[in-house]
Amino acid sequence: MNQKTIFMMGIIAVALVACKQEFLEIKPLVGSTEANFFQNAADAESATIACYNNLQQEVTNVQGSAQLAPHFRWYFGDICSDDSHKGGSGDGDEPDLFLFENFAGNSSSKLILGEWQVAYRGIAYCNLALDRIPTIEMDETEKARFLGEASFIRAYWYFNLVTMFGDVPLILENLSPSEYQQGRTPAAEVWAQIEADLTYARENLPRRSELSIAETGRATWGAATSLLVKAHAYQQEWQACNDLALEVMTSGEYFLDPNYANIFTEAGENGPGSIWEIQYMNASGGNWGNQLEGTFTNVWQRARGQFGGYGFNIPEQNFVDEFESGDPRLNATLFQVGDQMGDRGVFTLEATGFPHLYYPKKFFINASDEAPFGDPNPNGYSNDRVIRYADVILFHAESSYHLGDEGMARNSVNIIRSRARGGNQALLPSLTAAVTGNDLLEAIYHERRVELGLEGHRFFDLVRTGRAPEALGDWGFSTGTHEVFPIPEVEITLSGGLITQNNGY
Amino acid sequence: MKKLLLAVNFVFALLVTAFSQGKVVTGTVTSADDGLGLPGVTVVEKGTSNATFTDIDGKYSIALKNEASSLSFSFIGYLSQNISTEGKSSVNVTLKSDVAGLEEVVVVGYGNQKRSKISGAVGTIDTKEITSLPVLRTEQALQGRAAGVQVTQNSGQPGSTQSIRIRGTGSLNNAEPLYVIDGIPSAGIDYLNPSDIESISILKDAASAAIYGARGGNGVVLITTKSGSKNQKPQITYESYYGMQEPWKYMALLNAEEYAILMNESRSAAGLAPMEALANPSALGEGFDWQDEIFQRAPMMNHSFSFTKGTESSSTAVGGSYFLQDGIVGGEKGRFERYTFRINTRQEGGDRFRMGQNVNFTYLNRSALAENNEFNSVVGRALNMDPLTQATRLDGSFAYSEMIDSDIANPANQIALNNDFWTTNRFVGSTFGEYDILSNLKFRSTMSVDLSLGSHRVFYPAYDLGIGPNDPERPAYEWREVNGLMLGENKWSNWQWENTLTYDKELSNGDDLQVVAGYSALSNRSTSFYGYRDSLASNELEFAYMNNSLNAQEQAPTASGGITESAFIGQFVRLNYGLGEQWSLSGTVRRDGSSRFGTNNRYGIFPSVSAAYNMTELPWVAEKDWIDFLKLRASWGQNGNADGIGNFDYTSLVFNGLNYTFGSEQVQVNGAGPVNTSNPDLKWETVEQTNIGVDADLYKGKLNVVADYFVKNTNDMLAVVPLPGVVGFLPSATNVASARNSGFEFALNHRNQVGDVNYSIGGNIAFIKNEVTDLGEGGQPVATGSVFGIGDLVSYTEIGQPIAYFYGYETAGIFQTNEEAAAYEALPEAQAGDVIFVDQNNDGVIDSDDKIMIGNPHPDFTYGINMEAQYKGFDFTVFIQGSQGNDILNGVFRYDLNTTNLPVAALERWTGEGTSDWYPRISHSDPNQNNRISDRFVEDGSYMRIKNVQLGYTLSDATMQRLNIGSCRVYVAANNLFTFTQYSGLDPEVGTRGTLEIGIDRGFYPAARTFIAGINVNF
Repeated sequence: MNQKTIFMMGIIAVALVACKQEFLEIKPLVGSTEANFFQNAADAESATIACYNNLQQEVTNVQGSAQLAPHFRWYFGDICSDDSHKGGSGDGDEPDLFLFENFAGNSSSKLILGEWQVAYRGIAYCNLALDRIPTIEMDETEKARFLGEASFIRAYWYFNLVTMFGDVPLILENLSPSEYQQGRTPAAEVWAQIEADLTYARENLPRRSELSIAETGRATWGAATSLLVKAHAYQQEWQACNDLALEVMTSGEYFLDPNYANIFTEAGENGPGSIWEIQYMNASGGNWGNQLEGTFTNVWQRARGQFGGYGFNIPEQNFVDEFESGDPRLNATLFQVGDQMGDRGVFTLEATGFPHLYYPKKFFINASDEAPFGDPNPNGYSNDRVIRYADVILFHAESSYHLGDEGMARNSVNIIRSRARGGNQALLPSLTAAVTGNDLLEAIYHERRVELGLEGHRFFDLVRTGRAPEALGDWGFSTGTHEVFPIPEVEITLSGGLITQNNGY
Repeated sequence: MKKLLLAVNFVFALLVTAFSQGKVVTGTVTSADDGLGLPGVTVVEKGTSNATFTDIDGKYSIALKNEASSLSFSFIGYLSQNISTEGKSSVNVTLKSDVAGLEEVVVVGYGNQKRSKISGAVGTIDTKEITSLPVLRTEQALQGRAAGVQVTQNSGQPGSTQSIRIRGTGSLNNAEPLYVIDGIPSAGIDYLNPSDIESISILKDAASAAIYGARGGNGVVLITTKSGSKNQKPQITYESYYGMQEPWKYMALLNAEEYAILMNESRSAAGLAPMEALANPSALGEGFDWQDEIFQRAPMMNHSFSFTKGTESSSTAVGGSYFLQDGIVGGEKGRFERYTFRINTRQEGGDRFRMGQNVNFTYLNRSALAENNEFNSVVGRALNMDPLTQATRLDGSFAYSEMIDSDIANPANQIALNNDFWTTNRFVGSTFGEYDILSNLKFRSTMSVDLSLGSHRVFYPAYDLGIGPNDPERPAYEWREVNGLMLGENKWSNWQWENTLTYDKELSNGDDLQVVAGYSALSNRSTSFYGYRDSLASNELEFAYMNNSLNAQEQAPTASGGITESAFIGQFVRLNYGLGEQWSLSGTVRRDGSSRFGTNNRYGIFPSVSAAYNMTELPWVAEKDWIDFLKLRASWGQNGNADGIGNFDYTSLVFNGLNYTFGSEQVQVNGAGPVNTSNPDLKWETVEQTNIGVDADLYKGKLNVVADYFVKNTNDMLAVVPLPGVVGFLPSATNVASARNSGFEFALNHRNQVGDVNYSIGGNIAFIKNEVTDLGEGGQPVATGSVFGIGDLVSYTEIGQPIAYFYGYETAGIFQTNEEAAAYEALPEAQAGDVIFVDQNNDGVIDSDDKIMIGNPHPDFTYGINMEAQYKGFDFTVFIQGSQGNDILNGVFRYDLNTTNLPVAALERWTGEGTSDWYPRISHSDPNQNNRISDRFVEDGSYMRIKNVQLGYTLSDATMQRLNIGSCRVYVAANNLFTFTQYSGLDPEVGTRGTLEIGIDRGFYPAARTFIAGINVNF
């Protein structure tokens, strides 16, 4: 072997190993990855907005079901209560919901799968934001606010989960593949986390009065505090509930709109008594609300026939009867036969093609206000009023009652009744000192039902206060089982059995 | 053929012998088959250009240039021999026949191998097979030629893609093979001029493809282009053909009268009054034939020239071609044009160094019509359009239909308005240097580049088929108010650098050893830019350029673009060991890495082993004189399938658009985050294949048999399986699923001579069974194949069944009476005349749980038959190709629209008790959903197609000499002359759309029948 050969072999050896490992390290130049996102304040803000995004999801794809799953607060809050029934074109229209309102729903339903998956999807974005934003170098106040928003939204989702399902897996970080299978965490621990998140949120979120107009709709101190009020109320921690409710009431941040009916108009969105609203805007239709900016509730709840809606959430006579004579809130809550349905015509049974005597009104929008994109059923702008000031005042009344301060309780109820009567002193007399003890408690419950009717609260209020067996027994409610809904069967399977089923399902 | 060669050789011999001198050697060359003299055998003095040929009796005489030399005797179809002339003045030789081409050198990955030594399953297609049949594109040259290679058109439109499945569909994702052209992995082969191709090898089993590691899982198609050879006389070839294409079948549809009768019936069944225009069916007569309107005769042509020449130390091949094909739908609007230019050169620099270059430039120009969908394809619209509507009104303007709206717009107008152009400029080049470090150790380094520039230009003219601008009746799809222009520019660039060392050693004990080791690096990059403007000043295509837009302010022009990159690294080694004459052993290992794989699995190792045992010399074989050659082969190996993986699939990309609305003005604010989980474990799909085979030459080479049995398991197949909801993000694809293809391939060739007639008959057949064996834990069946007219997904992929089988309801005839219908509670809406859907689970409800397998799009077997005969100057070829046992889902008709035209089968509809037991009543309201997915729409898609019939004549020697032409062949041919099938649609050869939609006809653009006349001239 001569020198030339050795030289050539040397070149070849180099040629064969010249390429380095880095040759395979290619990063995407368009778009970013989870690995290289979270670099600056703008990324932090985008990641925070992504937490909000999921709140708008109403009709969504879920894993484990070939069909879209509707996910509306009023499905379980109203339809499964004694306030309304399903409606639609018949029992076979959303058959799962028909089963659930008759307390015959089962764990294979796509509806509970939708509730479960949408909540955890929302939580995943919050966990990502809470995990990654702290490492970004940026203005600390702004950072704390973003973290407060993510904490608040996470608490909101866990609140929904724990009230729907009881014990649920408590996921506070994004999971790695080896951690995908998770068991249930006792509800008490979930509640503790909700309180912790909301406490952090209210310490770091701005007051509503500090928001710029462009920031309307973002989570505030008031929203976090009010959700904490609810959380304590659901756990019957009345002192904490009362203290925080009072804090909201004395903050000067909120007051009741003098005209109750105004709350549910476009002008009433984010109004003086608005504490936490899910924001929607007119958007292109035909997409069933999947991942877009509009709500589909307006179509879903509108009468069928000439009104072109789907006719869901039909108020019960029992609910209508709850309203005191002349209560103006009744007409702001539902349509009765003969009413003008906005610019869509007069409500007659012939026009709807169904025998229902009532239709819900709070999400109704006029045809002229719909998105101009030509779709027959476009998504609407109506915000979902999740927490109103009146809700907090009524929790103040309820907690005051349980703490033995009946005067304060009556006073808070009377604030609500006073606004409701709209200046007509002949209506809705204030509670007098004669209303006391259990009568007072019933009066508080009565006020909740009519003030917050068809806003997605009733079923959970009935369960929370132990009145569900009485109110829903005729529908099939059975104590010890139907306080919570079944855990989706698919999730039990995918957890490898770590998740157990609720009692009775 | 022999005669022709003889004639050529005589001319050549005369030329060379004139310069000969020195010692003269004479002798006779005889054939081992019959002992008779072999005429036309080339006798070459080794190391010189001195040569002669044997005469009609096999005798030759050659004057040697050098004293001590050897002679090489070679003749087509016989094994060559070298014999020393030292001390001899007479050399007699007996040549053994080599009908099967045992000594033929087959291109395998990173080298060549003698066919007799090959231990894997490699199919080959030679240049003669490619160029004898005027194929429009290279994929077609593979169709029916090699057992187990299934080629189907995805459309009959010129320039459309073809799908190739080697040994079945082995993936839920990408199932196309890897193409390697002159060593360069290449996306698609549509840029090649088929005339430039020297040979095609198809690596079918894992052991053969193992040297392509992570990309060889679906098999490898190796294409070698012509490069000339050393000491070759200049040769110029000109090939040309001209053909006329025509449709070969129309679907039998209702005429206007029949249509009117059925529509009236359908409306009446739904309680609607008959339409005024249809009130008097008998007055409507035949009506308008939309198929006749859109189909036409269309020309195609090809011109191709090549030049090859070799000197003592170099060779050159230059080729150029022009190909044009218009569509039988749309004519020029469905045109495909291809210009190619290629130079392949080889040079020697001294004894030890060689280098070469391949340079190919291709310009493709394609004008394309929407095809094979139920929404906007011309063919689909023509089949669905009512026969009352004329294409044009009396004034020549395009008409619209009064009967049908929605997607079924006037297809003639659609053709006229179609301006959709793809142009591609593609440059593929490589250069290599090869150095002999030692006499048996050589180093080769190859650098290659593949650059493709693709432009897409679509102009949407404004139009209005309404009568006047304010026609309130005009259907939604029959007008466009504002014209628009879309322009896209794409650039794909790849480079590859490969270095190999090859060690070739004949050991002292007679064994031989070959080792190939190498390193390969590959980088891909693609960029794109797209823009759109509307409101152009002119409505003419000629002026359709962005800057002619009048819309500067109102609506911003839209633009988008991006870039994506990937890289591969591979290291490989292959060892071939020839143990005596009997055993050929081979082992390969390749280690591949890719940027596409997750960080936890960046590299994979792909091993294989194979062995062949040549039994020819075994006593019990040798004593049977009807066995000339017998070899057993066995192989096992693992490959990967990585080409279906996206560049960044392993990571979770952060998407913008997770928006939320804020502010009293309700402004959307951008939110961003990942949507899917990341999968750092993402890797190739592993294809493990075992192959056993036998090669035999029997009866003095008259019969050649190749048989193979294989089992191919694809594991780690990528599929999306649901994750627990608590994960939050959507699942990304993980390596969880498995599929299995197993089958039997058989190829047989018979070749003989009777008197002046030479003939051969060859056939191949493959039986392949496809089955999904796993979809991962919690894996759900995958539903694909949306067919709008039926309103459902029709393809289903689940464990234990073939990939993408047809899934729907079983039918059991028609309810003859209302009583019968009422008694069947599972169908509450049914009445007399409606379809009986079978309640499989007897739960009293017809729902998706009652769907079953209603068809299988995979054939039981596919086959090809080739027959050739030569007599004197004439040659005649018939090539037949077919598929048996596959089903087609006929999704042509838009039943959801109620007023489409219908196949004549609808005349057999149920109209009263006993009138029909298979075609339901027709009703606008269709309360029973008779048109839901069921076996009613599944048809037998088996076919046998006479792909090519050809008659050629090679001009006689005397004529050629007068014209100073080397040889000249003229021919006439017909492609797709006859197709035998039961399928009712336009073409039974319905391809795929993606991997999971197989054999769904949505108004398929059919292949044309073509008549061709051509000429091939060699100077």
